[in-house]
Amino acid sequence: MNNSISSSSDASPIQFNLPPLSLSLFDAEPSTPQEEPNGVVHGSSVSHFEDSISNEIEEMSIRDHPPSVSNDSQTSWFPGKRHLDEDDASISWRKRKKHFFVLSHSGKPIYSRYGDEHKLAGFSATLQAIISFVENGGDRVKLVRAGKHQVVFLVKGPIYLVCISCTEEPYESLRRQLDLIYGQMIVILTKSVNRCFEKNPKFDMTSLLGGTDTVFSSLIHSFCWNPATFLHAYTCLPLACATRQAAGAILQDVADSGVLFAILMCRHKVISLFGAQKASLHPDDMLLLANFVMSSESFRTSEAFSPVCLPRYNPLAFLYAYIHYFDDDTYLMLLTTSSDAFYHLKDCRIRIETVLLKSNVLDEVKRSLFDGGMHIEDLPPLSHSGSSPHLGQHSLRLDSPERLRESNSSAGGAAGLWHFIYRSLYLDQYVSSEFSSPINTHQQQKRLYRAYQKLFASMHEKGIGPHKTQFKRDENYVLLCWVTQDFELYAAFDPLADKASAIKTCNRVCQWVKDVESEIFLLGGSPFSW
Amino acid sequence: MPSRRRTLLKVIILGDSGVGKTSLMNQYVNKKFSNQYKATIGADFLTKEVQFEDRLFTLQIWDTAGQERFQSLGVAFYRGADCCVLVYDVNSMKSFENLNNWREEFLIQANPSDPENFPFVVIGNKIDIDGGNSRVVSEKKARAWCASKGNIPYYETSAKEGINVEEAFQCIAKNALKSGEEEELYLPDTIDVGNSNQQRATGCEC
Ligand SMILES: Nc1nc2c(ncn2[C@@H]2O[C@H](COP(=O)(O)OP(=O)(O)OP(=O)(O)O)[C@@H](O)[C@H]2O)c(=O)[nH]1
Ligand SMILES: [Mg+2]
Repeated sequence: MNNSISSSSDASPIQFNLPPLSLSLFDAEPSTPQEEPNGVVHGSSVSHFEDSISNEIEEMSIRDHPPSVSNDSQTSWFPGKRHLDEDDASISWRKRKKHFFVLSHSGKPIYSRYGDEHKLAGFSATLQAIISFVENGGDRVKLVRAGKHQVVFLVKGPIYLVCISCTEEPYESLRRQLDLIYGQMIVILTKSVNRCFEKNPKFDMTSLLGGTDTVFSSLIHSFCWNPATFLHAYTCLPLACATRQAAGAILQDVADSGVLFAILMCRHKVISLFGAQKASLHPDDMLLLANFVMSSESFRTSEAFSPVCLPRYNPLAFLYAYIHYFDDDTYLMLLTTSSDAFYHLKDCRIRIETVLLKSNVLDEVKRSLFDGGMHIEDLPPLSHSGSSPHLGQHSLRLDSPERLRESNSSAGGAAGLWHFIYRSLYLDQYVSSEFSSPINTHQQQKRLYRAYQKLFASMHEKGIGPHKTQFKRDENYVLLCWVTQDFELYAAFDPLADKASAIKTCNRVCQWVKDVESEIFLLGGSPFSW
Repeated sequence: MPSRRRTLLKVIILGDSGVGKTSLMNQYVNKKFSNQYKATIGADFLTKEVQFEDRLFTLQIWDTAGQERFQSLGVAFYRGADCCVLVYDVNSMKSFENLNNWREEFLIQANPSDPENFPFVVIGNKIDIDGGNSRVVSEKKARAWCASKGNIPYYETSAKEGINVEEAFQCIAKNALKSGEEEELYLPDTIDVGNSNQQRATGCEC
């Protein structure tokens, strides 16, 4: 799997197409006035704030240290919190490419991606000053541009979230990432935490988030490898229909016995899930819940029972989650409203486990994980006859695990196709192809996701109307995006790919997805109508 | 299922975050120790078979999270406990002072029938650190507190070196057993989930 959450080995600088950075990024460099969507405040109107920032962060540059979930080399008290020694005076801290901060409306630090929150108190106060100054003026700061840097703000009641980035990601993407960070906080604390601020504006929230640094660092890391973070959709582990059905049946069974949601997942992919009557699960909640569970080491060691909040379901209340790992990758989450349902959920898990073992689901899951999903080298030719959308030679390799891959010989698929993501609007699910050899490094994949993200943002810009297609060629790839009422397709090709054959290939991809949809998607049956 | 009734002993481990609750349990159950801190989220649940006077029992150990945000969420875990283990770090005065809060909170929320005689065991952990030179809570002080709370058994341990861990849990099991025999064991309501054979279509269209 390329999409593994931890990529600890990768600490090399990531090359972006940025000129070498000079000392004072926030210096005078007059930001050319430009129209931003959604009432974005642009640089020049708040130029005096830039001055105040420039004292704090200058010369951030092009180094990126991907976070790793388990960072053994570091014996810091909180795993996942990296560079605790840093503060806003350290050069290394200033050089980070992308900072995330959370602070309270009184300027108290709550979370910082890099460095120790308490040492950054002065910096937090500066950010707070910026936000409240503009708010008092009746304006809402959303974006400040300063040279290569964007500073994006998100105000959620008494909690302020800030991203400072020179990654060239669009404003919409960064804002969405702040939204997810806020959501993750709600997962851990519920929105009732606002009440603490009502009672005491100087309330210090850091203590309530003790031990959760890995949860946030893993979420932030997923912004560069998990398409769910920008697609508002979830993805399934490819499985034979009968296998998924067997899992679904037993989950439905326990859901009928007073479990609100029963979710079986393999890493970040859904095997099957079921909600009690009328309860629906939002893809963003699934993303945040899965991230919370996967990044908390303590769940892996034994059965666990923990309060969690699903922000899209009910941001004000806790649910209780029973969490159990069947193996390193496969885990079950049973959610209920009752705080003393542990034993019932444990019994449910035992029943589920029995069925999963009997119907071989766990072995099939392992096999699917090993085989991967859609390999673009297997893209079948367009079927001219209205051939039946069934398992067959066009199917995934679910039936032929022994088949060997000649992974190095092929440089992508038909017409120079390198990768695609297909998002079904009706199902709220997406499927992402495996990466082909031209994009087999973590850096290349991250760059591709960023390109998709940009494409996604531009296709969804408000006020511009729904684009139908977009064809973009640059030195890295040809990107093709196709949006219809039913689906969105994002495809990356060799930069030299021919436009006409690329379009043809996209048609083939869509046909292929249709042909194997019962294996790659969770279809019908479940009452998910978000 | 009814066999569970007499052989199951529920043990709750409480104490400030970082004092070594999970480490003690890990040392006891798996004979393992890790220097890395992995915050417990909610509560972890582990079982261990123990033999006591020719009888086999299952210790059902609830390792709870000491982090602040979980402190008001204990009810569900505390109820029906047969023994409560209070852990502090001998190198941290605050963790010792908080024992009182942990004990009181437990008694309020678990609401045992005879709170005066409910079995607690106190553990002072991390005695290995710095060869004992950085310890700030003396054994005398700890024992005095234990005595004042109805002669709570007291152990000093190192989860890292495996010192006294087995002994402490032996005592925990013994005390849990006593209380289990004296009062009715907690048996959770079991919702009837018997009709599992019912076949249902999941609507998969293949
Ligand atoms: N030297 C030493 N270190 C210990 C000992 N016991 C635990 N530790 C370390 O103390 C840290 C915290 O231990 P945990 O067992 O996770 O603490 P906890 O009480 O479970 O913490 P929460 O789950 O947050 O409530 C870890 O880094 C352990 O390695 C010990 O006996 N000696
Ligand atoms: Mg613990």
